[in-house]
Amino acid sequence: MANSNLPRRIIKETQRLLSEPAPGISASPSEENMRYFNVMILGPAQSPYEGGVFKLELFLPEEYPMAPPKVRFLTKIYHPNIDKLGRICLDILKDKWSPALQIRTVLLSIQALLSAPNPDDPLSENIAKHWKTNEAEAVETAKEWTRLYASGE
Amino acid sequence: MGNKVTEELLSTVRTIVGSAYSDMDIIRALHMANNDVTAAINIIFDTPSFKSKERSGFPKKPKLLSSDVVNSNQNGGQKSNCSLENEGNGGRCPSNSGDDVVEDVARCESLMGSEWWFVGCREVAGLSTCRGRRIKAGDEVDFTFPLKSSSISPSPGKGFGRGRQVAACSEIVRFSTKDSGEIGRIPKEWARCLLPIVRDKKIRIEGHCKSAPDILSIMDTIVLSISVYINSSMFLKQNKTSLKAANNSTEETVVPPLPTLFRLLGLTPFKKAEFTPSDLYTRKRPLDPKDSYGLCAPMLLANKPKNPGRNGGEVENEESISDADLDNIVGVGDSSQLEEMDPPSTLQCELRPYQKQALHWMIQLEKGQCIDEGAMTLHPCWEAYRLADKRDRVIYLNAFSGDATTEFPSTLQMARGGILADSMGLGKTIMTIALLLAHSGHGLSGSHPTSQSSSEDIEISDISDHSPSNLPKKVTSFSGFDKFMKRKNTLADGGSLIICPMTLLGQWKAEIETHAQPGSLSVYVHYGQSRQKDAKFLAQSDVVITSYGVLASEFSAENPKDNGGLYSVSWFRVVLDEAHTIKSSKSQISVAAAALVAGRRWCLTGTPIQNNLEDIYSLLRFLRVEPWGNWAWWNKLIQKPFEEGDERGLNLVQSILKPIMLRRTKFSTDRDGRPILVLPPADIQVIYCELTEAEKDFYEALFKRSKVKFDQFVEQGRVLHNYASILELLLRLRQCCDHPFLVMSRGDTQEFSDLNKLARRFLKGSQNSLEGEAKDLPSRAYVQEVVEEMRKGEHVECPICLEAFEDAVLTPCAHRLCRECLLSSWRNSASGLCPVCRKNMSKQDLITAPTESRFQVDVEKNWVESSKVNILLRELESLRLSGSKSIVFSQWTAFLDLLQIPLSRSNIPFLRLDGTLNQQQREQVLKQFSEDSDILVLLMSLKAGGVGINLTAASNAFVLDPWWNPAVEEQAVMRIHRIGQTKRVMIRRFIMKGTVEEKMEAVQARKQRLISGALTDQEVRTARIEELKMLFT
Repeated sequence: MANSNLPRRIIKETQRLLSEPAPGISASPSEENMRYFNVMILGPAQSPYEGGVFKLELFLPEEYPMAPPKVRFLTKIYHPNIDKLGRICLDILKDKWSPALQIRTVLLSIQALLSAPNPDDPLSENIAKHWKTNEAEAVETAKEWTRLYASGE
Repeated sequence: MGNKVTEELLSTVRTIVGSAYSDMDIIRALHMANNDVTAAINIIFDTPSFKSKERSGFPKKPKLLSSDVVNSNQNGGQKSNCSLENEGNGGRCPSNSGDDVVEDVARCESLMGSEWWFVGCREVAGLSTCRGRRIKAGDEVDFTFPLKSSSISPSPGKGFGRGRQVAACSEIVRFSTKDSGEIGRIPKEWARCLLPIVRDKKIRIEGHCKSAPDILSIMDTIVLSISVYINSSMFLKQNKTSLKAANNSTEETVVPPLPTLFRLLGLTPFKKAEFTPSDLYTRKRPLDPKDSYGLCAPMLLANKPKNPGRNGGEVENEESISDADLDNIVGVGDSSQLEEMDPPSTLQCELRPYQKQALHWMIQLEKGQCIDEGAMTLHPCWEAYRLADKRDRVIYLNAFSGDATTEFPSTLQMARGGILADSMGLGKTIMTIALLLAHSGHGLSGSHPTSQSSSEDIEISDISDHSPSNLPKKVTSFSGFDKFMKRKNTLADGGSLIICPMTLLGQWKAEIETHAQPGSLSVYVHYGQSRQKDAKFLAQSDVVITSYGVLASEFSAENPKDNGGLYSVSWFRVVLDEAHTIKSSKSQISVAAAALVAGRRWCLTGTPIQNNLEDIYSLLRFLRVEPWGNWAWWNKLIQKPFEEGDERGLNLVQSILKPIMLRRTKFSTDRDGRPILVLPPADIQVIYCELTEAEKDFYEALFKRSKVKFDQFVEQGRVLHNYASILELLLRLRQCCDHPFLVMSRGDTQEFSDLNKLARRFLKGSQNSLEGEAKDLPSRAYVQEVVEEMRKGEHVECPICLEAFEDAVLTPCAHRLCRECLLSSWRNSASGLCPVCRKNMSKQDLITAPTESRFQVDVEKNWVESSKVNILLRELESLRLSGSKSIVFSQWTAFLDLLQIPLSRSNIPFLRLDGTLNQQQREQVLKQFSEDSDILVLLMSLKAGGVGINLTAASNAFVLDPWWNPAVEEQAVMRIHRIGQTKRVMIRRFIMKGTVEEKMEAVQARKQRLISGALTDQEVRTARIEELKMLFT
């Protein structure tokens, strides 16, 4: 993909992500494809994911910003709204997308999702069920997974 | 119909037999007579039972053969008797008149009550309409006048050209004797001119037979002696009767009857009118194209079709006439022989000799009519007659309106004052100040004639009287006068009132203060919201200065008199500066000015005619130069002849203006032949610029697009219907010659450009729907924040493109986005969600957000100099060292916006003057420009710079874009080349080669060539289309 054709908006967003990163979030474009971002989100404090470093990939489709970016967790995570392939159930990434949203706001939303799992709108049925029936145990599992898979290696 | 009976035959017979016979009867008779008219008439009169049943004479249903057998025998003999009535000897005749005859003579006698003057007596050859009856010399005859044709109901569309017969019949005046009944009729020319005035009881005739054949047969000649008496009610004050003239003027080509009657009577005026209708109506001589008038008439004519005066609003490309043409029209009199008058010692400056002449002239005109020579001149439309009456009366007859008066009609009538029309730069202001000082009106209140106010009463009602009822538009616009009708002598006696454009308020005040000895004149500027309305207060100032705007608003206010203000004062003198402001006679400002109460009236203007001869009319109305303040007269005697290419209309204007207008130009000379004013030389040049490659591409693209549209209009034959669109196309092209960015400027933010209005709109919206979807609406605080943000012009970016807004729109939820970004975020083009808050909305809900910049692009960031800008900068740069100041004119304020960028970047200190500045700001700018030697450039919009402003501090002018009308350019440029200018003046006009600008020049030149006498409307239209086509080649 020709990077020279990159819309000014993407360049601008990229510059800002690099120059003023949001706390707990880093995103940097791939060298080969400026529409492909390597993202890292720190597990928010007071959440089961605290202390974890989660890798994500973010891709800006051709239609961006009129179409939402595609985002996926690369790090395994135990979360009712994220399935085992790392796909995320978040409305703004689907029908509630708005061109006024940006990479930064999307990532902040994902960070917020980690703080506040929503088992009522699950992507992963089993985890959601676990969360609903025995939240304490589910949280423990999430912490365990964080230690296992997101310990910053 | 077997034999064709031509209409001519029919009407010939009709004129003899009169209206008592139906068409069918006559046709029948003509049939029988084999179309021999005399035979047919004989048949009709000789056959006792010939007439059909129809008695009205104008059968509504012509009966065919069924009406053959008729029994109305008695009618043949008695018809004339029962339909007879004598106007002069009312009551002597049987009064059971037929329905086509004048009735109540007795009543009208009492109505008139006044005296009859014997005008004259004349022999007239009547024609008999009967045979066998007897009349002998010395027999008195009575005359029968038919009623107006309107009282007969003609049945239209029935063929036989009956309409014409009706007209012919209704003009037949018959005469009869008591013994024999109807004898005959008087000649048509007499009947025609007698009818209307006899009907109006203005004229009475008596007659007796002088000689007649012993035995009458049809068409015999009977010599009558007719004596004509005129009722003294005709001699009402001239302005009263002129109302009737106005009403009658629907039949504009009809020569008024009274002058014709006088002519028939063989009266010759001992003083002839300079112009008579016959002069005008029998114009045969084709116009000599080399005639000075021939040159200018089409200029004015060309303006006519598109000058319908819808609201008096200015058409952008309004063409006005050049100075030279103006001089041809109004005539520049040789004023070098005028006496000079030394100004009062309170004037603290030297007057030049020609200014002293003006002072003398103005003082003389103000003294009033009797002294002035003009007043002794017979009004050019009036002629003087001596009546045959023993009382030896002289009456004056208006050759056009037919009005009569016993008072000497002078050219001046009621005007005291006039038009000071010296061309720009000769110091009209200072001459006026000298006049103010010489005769302030105050302190003379004792000599202030008491009759003044009462005569004003009459004048005021005159104006409303004059509003011709056949011009409905005028009537409505004049209805405003009603509220002044009740004016009594209660008005406070005031000093001088000066009305000028808002821009000049300060200049007037400053000039008076500079030139008048302190304490000699008290000046009050009547302007602004807090202005004093108290009549006494206004009256006590020697000079009150106000703007046309204030005048109009006080005029339109309720009860202007009771509310105080300008209309509660009877002014000693009113001066209209830049008097062409009131040129559009239908405009409120013109009506408002004419309604002022004042003893002396002055118009100051360098351009008494701007576009149309009609402009003069409005000035004359204001000046009370009777009767020209009456539209009907003006139109009939001047406007129409003029438009029809008759130079006499123009001659008349010139002779009206001659005594009341003083016009000198810069080229006028004094009595020794020296120029009255010596100005430093002006170096005027046109700079032809060339488009750069990029500009050229842009221009070509735009031109092609425009031409496609234009060609479509041409194909559809709708060029003139799409005049506005075409002008817009041209406007874009012209702007493109200045700078391509201009074409990208936005015109649609006007509506909401007022930020407060915008905020109110949002807040109102949220109040209205408090109950319903209130929470969807932006909070008051948020709206205020957004509005504040826009007001400050803070740098905020579009949430979608993350760039500065381009063509920002506001959503109903008060979010701002680029229009393009927002619309492309919607799946369907008509509606979608707000990208910021997801509120649903449709495209119509969007508001174009007001912005500081009028450009779609960020001009500052993307700044590129255009070819014209480059040349301008080069010129300015070369002037910088000399410190000489320049004015840069453009007609687009957006271009001035753009020019600010390179000027700032080149560190050329500049100021700007355009229509957006209020009065104080303007004064501030002008003051700073003249006083601050660091400021080198004044950016000025052509319109703002047009009037009155004195810019002699500058000695260079750059006119960046050609105006349609060179006169406007000239006027603006003359702001620097005028009295007070000491330096050599340099004027540069910019024309972009190979563009519409160059063609505009060609069109102007072509116009001069097109002129070869008067053009018809169709020709003018064709010419206009041709011109437009030229622009698009």
